[in-house]
Amino acid sequence: MKHNGDAGDSSVISLSELGKVIGGKAILSNISANIEPGSIVGLLGKNGAGKTSLIDVLLGFSPPTSGSSRVFGESSFDLPAATKRRIGFVPQQDELLDSLTGAQQLALNAALHPAWNDALIARLAREWEVPLDRRIQVLSGGERQKLATLLALGHEPDLLVLDEPASSLDPVARRQFLRELLEIAESPTRTVLFSTHIVSDLERVASKLWIIRDGRLAWAGDLDALKESVVRVTLLARDALPAHLGIDGAVSQRSDGRRAQLVLTGWQDERQRELADRLGADVTVERLGLEEIFLELHS
Amino acid sequence: MQHSRTLATSHVYGYTRTLMDRDLQLPPPRIFTLEPASGVPIYRQLIDQVRRLVASGHLAPGAELPSVREVAAEYTVNPTTISKAYGLLELEGLVQRNRGKPMTIAPLRRNQQALTQRLRQIESQVDSLVLAARQLDLQAADLTTLIEQKMQEQT
Repeated sequence: MKHNGDAGDSSVISLSELGKVIGGKAILSNISANIEPGSIVGLLGKNGAGKTSLIDVLLGFSPPTSGSSRVFGESSFDLPAATKRRIGFVPQQDELLDSLTGAQQLALNAALHPAWNDALIARLAREWEVPLDRRIQVLSGGERQKLATLLALGHEPDLLVLDEPASSLDPVARRQFLRELLEIAESPTRTVLFSTHIVSDLERVASKLWIIRDGRLAWAGDLDALKESVVRVTLLARDALPAHLGIDGAVSQRSDGRRAQLVLTGWQDERQRELADRLGADVTVERLGLEEIFLELHS
Repeated sequence: MQHSRTLATSHVYGYTRTLMDRDLQLPPPRIFTLEPASGVPIYRQLIDQVRRLVASGHLAPGAELPSVREVAAEYTVNPTTISKAYGLLELEGLVQRNRGKPMTIAPLRRNQQALTQRLRQIESQVDSLVLAARQLDLQAADLTTLIEQKMQEQT
């Protein structure tokens, strides 16, 4: 997880010891991580954890205070036009023009891109039920969000970045949207990074996960590996347990005489027997869903 | 260990749809139950289920598996986790890859998986059952009676 600033040319995004200070306050600290093509990466964090700030820096909207951020091998804050054209971005607050209709807004964006896939956009607008003939100012929050997503997809970007893309969508629309993300990332050269606090969406479609906590990366890696590494262990001993259990990687611990419950990171199944033997206790291991893991990491 | 239904065909309905299904344009029933929100990674869930379906004979040797793409689309999950499961099942020798064709359940190495092996696959469920039973102060005999009763109901 540490290091790896100049990982080869294959990385789509490469962050190295990235830091961002705004008004004397550290918003992002020492973030190092890479994203390889073909992955769907979920960026998860509490409100104010730094998700949007991180996206701003990696897309070059604001410069890093320290360290580096590179996209397709180019410095984020100095992206050549050709590289920018390979990126699609859906901001948290859309930048749609209220006085236009959806169709007019799409035409405006299409004109800016040499390669615009009209057929793709027409299909998605139909499937997602986006009313293109109506003025944007009368659209619902969900409709606006879908339209903003279409704008970012028309030029078929190699890197699609979405900041809270599904927050206004109903469950049906969210599922359609997730399917589309999977379809986009089916091409081994395309990459999706999306921030969310809807954990269940992330568990479905993300293969990689970045958990950001107080401006630092608390996890960067496979979602599967995270679920395998964090467990809740319950110990039930014959005699009173020692005050110090001597267990590594405990995120939280509660104990009460013969009983103790801990959330552990870096779990391996062999540890179950080792704990049982050493502490003379029945050991029950419970696997945690992402929501619980997230809560435990923030407890 | 006797099964009343011959599921070698009926459980693979995902791929060999009946004429009626096709006429009615009904999507085929799912053969797996994947729960993305579970603490068990999706690839683990899939491996466990294929192992169980094979152990019980519900997926017979030669039965076709849906493609990675089909499973990912059907359950709206990331294909990486599905292909990881298939890769590990292949390593284990339980399924085989066929050039240009769907993956299939491999011929059984032994005639049927040994009882101990099949029991091992249900062990984690038994662990949670035992835990719940202890919390309820139930004896093993109480549980056995209930299990026997339930298993008779379902045959």
